[in-house]
Parts: sequence; C-alpha cells; structure tokens
Amino acid sequence: MSDLPELDVEPRVAAMLPPWTETMQYIRKSPKRAPVEVLRAAAARGRPVVQPRCGVGGHDEMRTLLTTLERRARPGILTITIDSFTRLKQFRTAAQTLQREPADLNGYPLVTHGWRRGRELNESVDAPIEVRHGSPDPRELFAVSLASGFTSFEGGGIDYNLPYSKDVSLTRSLAAWAQVDRLCGLLAEEGVIVDRELFGTLTAVLVPPSVSLAVCVLEARAASLAGVRCLSIAYPQGGEVHQDIAALRSIPVLARRYLPENVEIFPVLHEFMGVFPADPDVADALILYGGLTARLGGAAKVINKTNQEARGIPDAQANVAGIRTAALACTDLLDFVRVDEATVEEETYWLQREVAELVEPVLAAPDLAAAIVDAFADGRLDIPFSASVHARSEVIPKRDATGAIRYLNPGRLPFSRPTLRRNEQCLRVDRASLSRRLIDEIRSDINFFLHAERRFQADRATVECPGPANTGPGAAASSGGVR
Amino acid sequence: MSSRKTQRTVIIGVARSDAHAVANHLIAMRLREAGFCVVNLGVCTPLEDFADALVAHPDAEAVLIGSLNGHAYEDLRDLPALRAAGRLHCPLIVGGNLSVGSHKDGDERERLLSLGVDHILDEADQIPLLLDLLHAARATPLTGV
Repeated sequence: MSDLPELDVEPRVAAMLPPWTETMQYIRKSPKRAPVEVLRAAAARGRPVVQPRCGVGGHDEMRTLLTTLERRARPGILTITIDSFTRLKQFRTAAQTLQREPADLNGYPLVTHGWRRGRELNESVDAPIEVRHGSPDPRELFAVSLASGFTSFEGGGIDYNLPYSKDVSLTRSLAAWAQVDRLCGLLAEEGVIVDRELFGTLTAVLVPPSVSLAVCVLEARAASLAGVRCLSIAYPQGGEVHQDIAALRSIPVLARRYLPENVEIFPVLHEFMGVFPADPDVADALILYGGLTARLGGAAKVINKTNQEARGIPDAQANVAGIRTAALACTDLLDFVRVDEATVEEETYWLQREVAELVEPVLAAPDLAAAIVDAFADGRLDIPFSASVHARSEVIPKRDATGAIRYLNPGRLPFSRPTLRRNEQCLRVDRASLSRRLIDEIRSDINFFLHAERRFQADRATVECPGPANTGPGAAASSGGVR
Repeated sequence: MSSRKTQRTVIIGVARSDAHAVANHLIAMRLREAGFCVVNLGVCTPLEDFADALVAHPDAEAVLIGSLNGHAYEDLRDLPALRAAGRLHCPLIVGGNLSVGSHKDGDERERLLSLGVDHILDEADQIPLLLDLLHAARATPLTGV
C-alpha cells in the first residue's frame, strides 16, 4: 500500500509505488534544476522559455523523442504528454494497447510504464519535465509522476474536466484535484516546490479572455488555499495581439488581487490552439507571432506549435523546428517591436473588470468549491463549446473587426451594463442578418488564420505567375486555387 | 396546418465515439433562435441514448446526429436493431464529416442510408429548411401529387 499523504490512490497503483520517504529523497537529491527555478530565471530575464508538447506510447521511443528535442532545440522545459486511456484511468486498456501496438497510443502511459521508467526519462535529459494530460481525476497519475521525480503537473478541477469529459461532476473533479493540491502544499512545507500549471486554454476555440482568466483565478485560489506555492497560469493566444498582451499582463495583477502573497505566479502562453494553417510557411509565421506575443505579454513560458499542426501529432523534426522558431521570437532579434500601449491599456481595463464581475461573487461565498459548482449549474460561470454537460455553454463568442474575441451572447454571466455595452460597441453587429448566418460567421472566426493563409497564397500566386494575363485580383485567386 | 402555439421539439447530439462539441453547440443555438425546443444530448452519445430521449420527448420532430470523426457508420451500426425493436421511429438526420480520409466517393452516404438513416445533410445551415419540409409533410400528408 502507498503511504502517500493526502492522496487516495487505487490500491493496484499504490502497491507499485516506492515508499514516500524514498520519493522525497529522490526529488531532493536530484541534481537537475527544478521547473520553478527555470520559470523564475525566465521571468527575471523577461524572456519566455519554450516548451514543446510531446508524448508517444513506447518507452524507448519516448526517451529518444525527449533526447532528440533536447539535443537539437534545447527547450527550457520538456513535456510528457499522457495518452487518453491513462487520462481516464483506463490503465488496463492502456497496458493492453502498449503490449499490442505502442504506436496506437496518443501519448505516454506513465502509470503503466511505472515510476522506474519515469525516473529513467527524467534522468535522460537536462531540462525538467512537466506532465501534461487532461484528467478530471489525476490522483494515480500524480502519484506516479512524483515518484518519477516530475515536479511540474498540469491541470485543475475545472479546466481538465469541462473540455475533456462529458459527464464528470465538478464536485468530483474539484475534490480529486484538491487532494493533489494538498499534497503539493505538504511538499512545499518540506521545501519541495511543485509547479502546478492551470489550463486556461479550456476548449481552445474562441475562448473569451475573461472566461479563461476567471477559471484560472478560481482554480488558483482553490490551489493556494490547499497550500500550492507555485502556479503557472496558461492563457491561449486568441490572435489579436493587444488583447493577448492585455490578458498575459493581467495575470500577475489578478494574482496580487485575489491570491495570497506567498504564491509565485508565472504567466504562460499557449500558441494559437484553433485551426492552424496547413501551409508550412504560414504556420511558421504564426509560431513566430506566438513567441513574440508571449514575450511582449511578459510570459515566463510559451508552449510552441509546429508546422505540422494542421495534419495531427508532429514528428520530432517538426517539433524541433517549432521550438526553435518560437525561441527565435523570444531572443533580442525582435526587441524593436512595439504595440499600441493605449489599446493594450483599454483592453486591460475592460478585461480585468469582466474577470472581477465573474469571480468576485464566487469568491465571496464561504465554500469555494461548492460556489464554483453552483455558479456553473446556474450559468453564472460558463465556457463556450463545452464537451461536458456540467457547463451550460450559453455563451457565444465572436470576433470583432480587429479579430479580438468578444461576447456576442453573454448567456447568464453576471456582467454589468457597461461591460455588456462595451462588448456590443466592439462588435457592432447587425443581429437580424447575423442570426441567419451565425454558424458560418462563427466558423469563419474559428478559421481566423486560414484567411491570412488564403490571402498569402493568393499573393504568392500573383508573384510567381507574373504576366499580362495574371495581374488582376481575379487571376491571382484562380491561380491560387490551382496550386 | 398545425397549431403555431405548440413549440416544436428536436433532439440533437453527436455520435458515440465523437467528442467534437463546437458544431453541436452552434446548431443548438441556431435552432433555439429559430424557436425550437432543443434537447441537446451533447458529445459522445450512444444511439441508445437518442432512443431514450425520444421516449422522454415523444413529440420530437426529428433526431439529428452529428459525426465529424469519420466513424458515423460504426457509431450508427445498431440502428436497424433498434428500429426492429420498435425504437427511434422518427426522422433521423445525420450530418458532418462522414467518413475517414479526405476522399469522399458517396459510398458512405449509401451505407448510412442502408442502415435506415432518413436524411443526410452536408451543411448545418440546411437543417431548419429540412425540418420545415418534414413538418409541412407531416401536417399535410402526401397523398400522391
């Protein structure tokens, strides 16, 4: 049986864990830099570190992937992405698939491989490793992660439930994550800081920034009350640079306002998570743009994309290129880039006001977890396009003319009149005609960067096929279509 | 004509193995805006759950199933058995991305229709029109033109 404090773990998994004191000793004696130290250094330098996503089923393949990425791209932090069977605690199916065909797993089944192999991965690279997954109940995975020496762990009771599961109650997921966070609290008392990253990216499609930040603020408050001392708060790049910078810069401000002083907070940017351009050149430009947004917003870390994103899980080669492209944007090469600070300031004001209107009624309740559950049930908290039945998804997001994400319909979110009016003013939509084209309009917003790709390809076609017959815009479009 | 006062009901959801939520939400919004009562069963819904929902909402005009992951045929395989058991007897409309791979040869539509799917739509925007046509046909049964 496991002697892990605070964490209730399935007996079958617990029986395979090393003694708790041994795990603590292993983590303390590790010569590697802890994730929290890497983040502190990045924040101090004002240059984000880059972290890839990566996870494959087989152990040798996983080790090769990690060492290849480290050798060729030197990311600041590495990742083990976990397969979906393990995320849902289907450890037996994960084991069967691993035995039959490791390549059929969409990530590394860490619980099945076990902590000894986890340590082997940990020791095979210099960079610290974060475990990324999507589990509404991650307790077994967290136990094996710790025993492996991984002290960076992504997820929370809201953000790893609503986008990933159809019908797991928030009460259950919040309780499971509270156990993880209490164990992190005990570890912090012993001097071992676990970086707990919150997944503000949510459903990744047109997430209004104040929804993302509000969810993270609530999770961060719950985690810090449980004793967590290091929180990375991740925000998904929406694509409008002023809005994205305002959101990233708001993270430390909101932390000061709503979290205890003894918690370290690191803003993180997830490079654009929506529909990615298939054209490798346009994809590379978007990856560079993401890195630049992260730096301008003061992120400590940026999670890179690859130019194979449109086609699925990238190979190592594409991931190396993606890391390097994102890292390039964080060097001093682009330090001359400035944005319109007045626009950022205006965005910041309204964004923080929206977050306050969302979180303050919930934070005022005596029992935070219960208040979160009630608010989602009533629609006072909500996320668009939820996979789970436990969010109402009455919120409809829409891009305005600049590309910034606004509330076309705020559902039952408790926004003030001025907030609602601001959204209206930014959108300036003709609701009568929009209602007939709603699905097309929102699909077009989702495909935001595909429009840029189409324009680019049309331009390139014009440049490559000069001549009297090919100079008009119609000709460019038609030769673009042939390509 | 049928009474305009009673609200029209439809049941919608996404096929069993499919977790694509975005189009599902947009279709629900679009139909609600058009005045429908929408029973949305959401993502990853087994056919059996659609049949149960029809029992709970016997006045539903149609069941709409979205499938975007290419597994429509697999996910709807139990339809003949359910229908034989006297369940899911209402117009069944399927739409989305109906087979794996980018090459569509029309075969997939035939296979779905052979399972008993009544209508296949390529565009979500066609849904209200199809529902209106079905509604009108039900109010004024065709007796031969």
